[in-house]
Amino acid sequence: MLPYLVVSGLTTGSLYALVAMGLVVVYKATTVVNFAHGELFMIGGFLAYTFHVLLKLGYLVSLVLAVAAALALGLVTERLAYRPLMRAPAISVVLAAVGFSFVLKGAARQIWGGLGDYMPFPPVVATPAITMGGLILVPQQLVVLAGALVCMGLFTAFFTSTRTGKMMQATAENAKAARLVGIRVDRVYAFTWGMGAATAAAAAVLMAPLTFVYPDVGSPLLVKAFGAAVLGGFGSLLGAVLGGFSIGLIENLAGGYINTSFTDISAFLVIMLVLIVRPTGFFGPRAVRRI
Amino acid sequence: MRTARIALIILATLVIGSPVTPADAQGTPGLTADEIKIGALGALTGPGYLYGRLIMNGAEVVYNEVNKAGGINGRKITLVREDDRCDAASAIAAAKKLIFQHQVFMLHGGGCSNASIAARPEIEKAGIPWVVFASVADEVTLPTAPYIFSTALAASIESAAQLEFALQQGAKKIAVISMRDAWGRARYNPLMETFKRKGVTPVADEEMSPDANDATPQVLRLRQASPDAVIIVLYPKAAAVYMRDAAKLGFKPMQIGQTALGDLLVFRDQVAIPNALDKFYTISHVRYTPEDPEMERWRGLLEKYFPNDRMSVYNIMGIASATVVVEALKRAGRDLTRDRLRDELNKLKDFNTNIYPGVITCTPTDHQCHKTPAFMLLTGDKVKTVGVATVTR
Repeated sequence: MLPYLVVSGLTTGSLYALVAMGLVVVYKATTVVNFAHGELFMIGGFLAYTFHVLLKLGYLVSLVLAVAAALALGLVTERLAYRPLMRAPAISVVLAAVGFSFVLKGAARQIWGGLGDYMPFPPVVATPAITMGGLILVPQQLVVLAGALVCMGLFTAFFTSTRTGKMMQATAENAKAARLVGIRVDRVYAFTWGMGAATAAAAAVLMAPLTFVYPDVGSPLLVKAFGAAVLGGFGSLLGAVLGGFSIGLIENLAGGYINTSFTDISAFLVIMLVLIVRPTGFFGPRAVRRI
Repeated sequence: MRTARIALIILATLVIGSPVTPADAQGTPGLTADEIKIGALGALTGPGYLYGRLIMNGAEVVYNEVNKAGGINGRKITLVREDDRCDAASAIAAAKKLIFQHQVFMLHGGGCSNASIAARPEIEKAGIPWVVFASVADEVTLPTAPYIFSTALAASIESAAQLEFALQQGAKKIAVISMRDAWGRARYNPLMETFKRKGVTPVADEEMSPDANDATPQVLRLRQASPDAVIIVLYPKAAAVYMRDAAKLGFKPMQIGQTALGDLLVFRDQVAIPNALDKFYTISHVRYTPEDPEMERWRGLLEKYFPNDRMSVYNIMGIASATVVVEALKRAGRDLTRDRLRDELNKLKDFNTNIYPGVITCTPTDHQCHKTPAFMLLTGDKVKTVGVATVTR
């Protein structure tokens, strides 16, 4: 049982990690927690469903198109919903995000709601499970895990190796200083929102063959991703990744070895315990008190 | 001035003393010489629309045909729909709107149980007849309210039937997987009571969240217990995730669902793994499936009135329930009142709709009128009825 729980936990955790990364990227650059991030994930899934199932495009093509469309949606969202509120109190931005999440959910029901409650997404790999000794490996899960790791790698490479990525890092570090050296901070913000949405869409496309595409998929996932980001230290990309994997593993192991009623709550119990000992999470900055 | 004051006092005395209230002067709400207004309450939008809009469409087909044949005792039926969105607050608002704004004669509806439970006090207070067409929570009809009747199976009846069926099929080791939200508990608790009554202990009892996207821990723990049968108390999405993961892990005991998984063809499409439902049985409120020849006439009528509907078991549930409503209204006669309708429903005994698996019987103390679930199995592309049970509550 252990090997399978670990593989399954890592697979689910990789998706939490991807979603958490998108959340953290936006937060680092703009200090805004995007409460509509779960719904951006959901829209990404529906876009992929439209391209792959309804329009019968290939899976990889659908992945690229869904991510590109989500990036565009993120850019539009930033321009219309968040940029006008950047100087408003934080509560206004939070409320705008929550409101936007309802708009996205309503739009999804309106556009795709007639297709059914929960739409199954065809597997990328249709081969049956492989049994090796006592271990059962589901090829689809391995593909998802590999895909998520590739996305994380690309994301990290983008940030560390590209000019735009470095500008985003600089803006996140110190927006005023970034402006002073000629970085168009407003464009960086816009692109950050776009990247956040694109990451959520990538996670959705990878997750879709394992689960379903439906309008309410985003909210529970946002809670898990938020938990992952907090566990890792909100503001740390590496922390978000480790937090996501941790939550996936904890859920599966607690459900498998303690009781299945612990599956959902176990991760949050662990988060609470970690925060008691280390309030800023695994990789968050140490709290400094100036005296 | 003095004269005016005296006139006002006389007028006030006449109005206060008069036995004729404004309501009496207008007659029974929703009823005219040529119309009976029926309010349909259920989810028209959102994921609960299966248990609302589709069932209403089936009911409306029946009412349209009745109207075409001249109506009931000279009165045509007008169906007015309100959306309860499958949530409590919207259900209360929808019920009030139907009762007080649209002023319907009776209600025919109730899809999602949580919504129906929330609306029940308001409906009970209004003293308006309500025939429930899909809500299965026992709290909808218990305690028995004078004007509330149900043509849907009750959760406790379904749970007892699931265990009965497993035992009838020869299962010795029986496991349970359930959701423990309000919907799940309404079934899980009676199921556990039935286990106790039968002297059987579940070999595994696992829980799953409604939002879970992975059922690996649940499937692995169930597999460890090696059950002959698993009783499933899960909503469609969670059930589909569970069945997918069970298929992937090669876990294939007899699986026994309930009416939330009543449309096997849709469920098969959701699970989307070949042969995953080979040993999956589920309960249906109705005897037939959309493809059965007995449903051909209704299929044609549904296509005529609702061309966008592909006939489903939910439409058939609406047709069956509306048949009961029509029968009760006919029996109440031309001098129709809400009390007469209530009385006729109370006297309804062994009424055969030819669609429900068993007869419909209501009594003054038991308004749970449908007690006969049918068990269905998907064989290839065909859904077959493999058994019928009668369970008392």
